[in-house]
Amino acid sequence: MLPTPHVRCDYDKVYEPSEDTFLMLDALEKDQEFLRRFLGDKMNLVSEIGCGSGMVTTFMMHNRIPNKNAIYLPTDINPWAMESMVDTASLNKCDQNVLSPIRMNMAKSLRSGQIDLLVFNPPYVPAESVPTIPTEELSVTGEGKEDAAWLDLALLGGDDGMVVTWKLLHSLDEFLAPNGIAYVLFCARNKPQEVVKAMQLQNWSCELVEYRKAGWEVLSIYKFHR
Amino acid sequence: MKFLTSNFLKCSVQACDRSNDNFPLKFNGEKCQLEQDESLEFNPEFLLRVIDRVDWAAVLSVAADLGNTGLPAGKPEFSNEELSEEDKVILADLHTLLIQTNIVEGEMSCKNCGHVYYIKNSIPNLLLPPHLA
Repeated sequence: MLPTPHVRCDYDKVYEPSEDTFLMLDALEKDQEFLRRFLGDKMNLVSEIGCGSGMVTTFMMHNRIPNKNAIYLPTDINPWAMESMVDTASLNKCDQNVLSPIRMNMAKSLRSGQIDLLVFNPPYVPAESVPTIPTEELSVTGEGKEDAAWLDLALLGGDDGMVVTWKLLHSLDEFLAPNGIAYVLFCARNKPQEVVKAMQLQNWSCELVEYRKAGWEVLSIYKFHR
Repeated sequence: MKFLTSNFLKCSVQACDRSNDNFPLKFNGEKCQLEQDESLEFNPEFLLRVIDRVDWAAVLSVAADLGNTGLPAGKPEFSNEELSEEDKVILADLHTLLIQTNIVEGEMSCKNCGHVYYIKNSIPNLLLPPHLA
């Protein structure tokens, strides 16, 4: 079993690594050899959308997933996540990896068709709506409300908890390189089997990688590629 | 952000996707503060793959923005066999530029819509204000 990275960050502002995070690590570890073969020896662009604390990207860098020629461009909308990503990478001695975190919405500011390996642990909790991004104003006058707002953004996924995930899945063709692959986490309330059916109708190859009951949640990770 | 990162960043404004000017972003050389991270070791095998992958016109454009006009007009090509000493020098220079060069503070803008994005503490912010998002 590959070691779990150490994390240093402020959990009032950034999502704390939890069962879902660990399941993603397990899925990537399980698929290590598959990814090496699937993505080959070329330079691979790896982008974790919503990198949060930076644990998953650090895990990939540390264990050379998918290969030793990867560059890592993790994204998040939360500025504190950017800070944690850098701190977590350095705490785990990943200083020889090419890491360049970018603050953006999903992968919308990356040139299209470039991501070889996309990893997404979305805000998957069903909620009335997806929260809006905290404004600069709130950060000055909000008296701590801003911190909670960043955490809500990492958790709440609107209808069925799928609003953000669907945005990503609908943009997969634009985000992924022609031979790219995406690993996406779901909870049971996201109705992943229905999602998979809909994606298959659009000719995506979908496969369950990991599955786990975590307390009252049932989590699963699927991989999608053309 | 690394110099190499600029090879993958486009303007976030969706309407700019229809133009050919949303990539690469234009760096404001006067406002950009650069740093070399010399601790990153030179790995020729890795560099060859990076060069294979990059959009060379975009490398030239960003390098010129930042005051470096000494790059060859065409993407350097290397033989698949043993690298010559000359090849290694070219690769080492590109390692310095693409991998070791960090843009720590600065500004970049879209050549189509003119929107300015800021880089602070090595992190570029490509988020749009609510009225543009």
